[in-house]
Amino acid sequence: MSSIPEYMTKKHRECDEFFSEAEAAVADKDWSLALAKWQLFASELTEHLAQEEETLFPQFEQATGMTSGPTQVMRMEHQQMRALVQSLDNALAAKDKDEYLGLSETLMVMMQQHNMKEEMMLYPMMAQHLTDGEQLIEGFKANEAV
Amino acid sequence: MNMSGLSFNALPPIDLPFRFFLSAPLFIIVCALLVLFSGEILWFSRWQPNMLALMHGFTLGFLTMVMMGALLQLLPVIGGIGIGKPRFIATTSHALYSAGVITLMLSFVLANNWLTLTALVLLSLGLGIYLGAIIWVLIKKMSQGDSINCFRLAIASLTILLLLGILLLANKVGVTVPFILYDKHLTDIHALMGLVGWAGILIIAVSFQVLPMFHVAPNMPKYIRQYLGVCTFTLLIAYIFYTELALGLLFISQGGFALTLLYVINQRKRKVPDTSIKYWKLSAATLLLLNLLYFLPDSFYSSTHSPLFMALPDKTMLLTAIFIYFYLLSVIQGMLLKILPFLSYTHLQQRCLVDFSAMQFIPHMHEFLNKKHGIVLFYMHIMSGLSLLAVIIMPSLYFIFALFLLLEFVWLFVLMMKCMALYFSVNKKINLSNTA
Repeated sequence: MSSIPEYMTKKHRECDEFFSEAEAAVADKDWSLALAKWQLFASELTEHLAQEEETLFPQFEQATGMTSGPTQVMRMEHQQMRALVQSLDNALAAKDKDEYLGLSETLMVMMQQHNMKEEMMLYPMMAQHLTDGEQLIEGFKANEAV
Repeated sequence: MNMSGLSFNALPPIDLPFRFFLSAPLFIIVCALLVLFSGEILWFSRWQPNMLALMHGFTLGFLTMVMMGALLQLLPVIGGIGIGKPRFIATTSHALYSAGVITLMLSFVLANNWLTLTALVLLSLGLGIYLGAIIWVLIKKMSQGDSINCFRLAIASLTILLLLGILLLANKVGVTVPFILYDKHLTDIHALMGLVGWAGILIIAVSFQVLPMFHVAPNMPKYIRQYLGVCTFTLLIAYIFYTELALGLLFISQGGFALTLLYVINQRKRKVPDTSIKYWKLSAATLLLLNLLYFLPDSFYSSTHSPLFMALPDKTMLLTAIFIYFYLLSVIQGMLLKILPFLSYTHLQQRCLVDFSAMQFIPHMHEFLNKKHGIVLFYMHIMSGLSLLAVIIMPSLYFIFALFLLLEFVWLFVLMMKCMALYFSVNKKINLSNTA
């Protein structure tokens, strides 16, 4: 059984890996590899954000009564990340290397800042307030296996 | 909608760190002019008054200036909390400190007691206010963590460095403290506290954070994170009593850090070409080269029977110049290339949390600082570094070094101005979109 901080942090690292592989492929102008890795990243990210926004955040808000607190900021940052992902999709489709690398540097830095806030503050707070945290994670894992 | 209670990080307004960053290259431009007008004689001894002015222009005017600005920003990002009253603290300390560094440089060049006294007061006040605010946060509010602990040691080194500096300046104007021997050793302690304690430990602390964050590199090994900072600081204290032994161990520990840096950089996941990585590699290689040079027998230096085709110049001057130019300056420049676009972007992005539609106005990070321009800076840095080595060996080449120095730091200044200008123009667009 893994805790919320353990599992969710591991997911951040997995996203970083796919992201870096896609970026390296773009730098080498290996567009087919870049697309494959980018799609892996995008689907990992979509799933991760959904786990937070649809399950963890509402549960946390319910448990603490903090509806306009940190989870609200995280939701807004997710929205910004999605916008950058969209721009990266376009740069990849246009095979525009410089544009892609400028955007990927930007998304990378935004994600790292965002992750740090979640890993250092939000996930530990969740582990503290959500008594069924480990069951929730088991649920995520079961969905992954499907 | 009030966002202040929601934001996790208390980023100080961007003009506060930026005023430190923008002032820094100006001091090196002054240094370049000093080199140009001092002529060959500057390079004959580390005790030349103009050499002392040059040294402090580099270390206080550039290095410390950038590090003071960066810390304002790093504390909120890494520790989640910033200093209180940031505008007041940053504005006052920056103004007093800048005036202090200029006066100090002038006091060396003109050998004037009133200037020395003024520099002493301005620097004590400027650094004192800054240190007071930072120490308050580090003691009272900051969480534990390897980087934060290293910050504490770096700040402790800066405090000792400042106190010793005050003692030395006071001595110059005739105020002596009993039981203190005003000799070369005291100056060496002062210099090492600055170069290896304040700058060196701060770089160690920053490397723990930025390599994983910007380059998706693994964390530094646990024992390095826990002990390297403390070990360096302890050796600096030991240096007061066991000079040779402690100095040798300091070189070795910095060499150990260099090997760890190279290992971690090599293991990074993000392999995309990056100028900051080039700067880190150059810095690590420099620390290894310094170990070699330090442990070379003395017969290689200033000897008529040198085993090399030529005798190496004065060892202290050579090693200090390499350490400052190829290690400290390289890391700081590499960091600036990341921090400038990062800060500009982050500040604008935070503004767009409330007004999502304004996101469309924010350029990506490479537009704030063009990658090609960063690479040009790196090669300019190598060129001026090599010309510094040349001038140490052959002082008549001083004008070449002055020229390269001038070019490099005017270029850095231009890059900073471009980044800032873009920031303000985008900020204006966001303002307009908010009021629309």
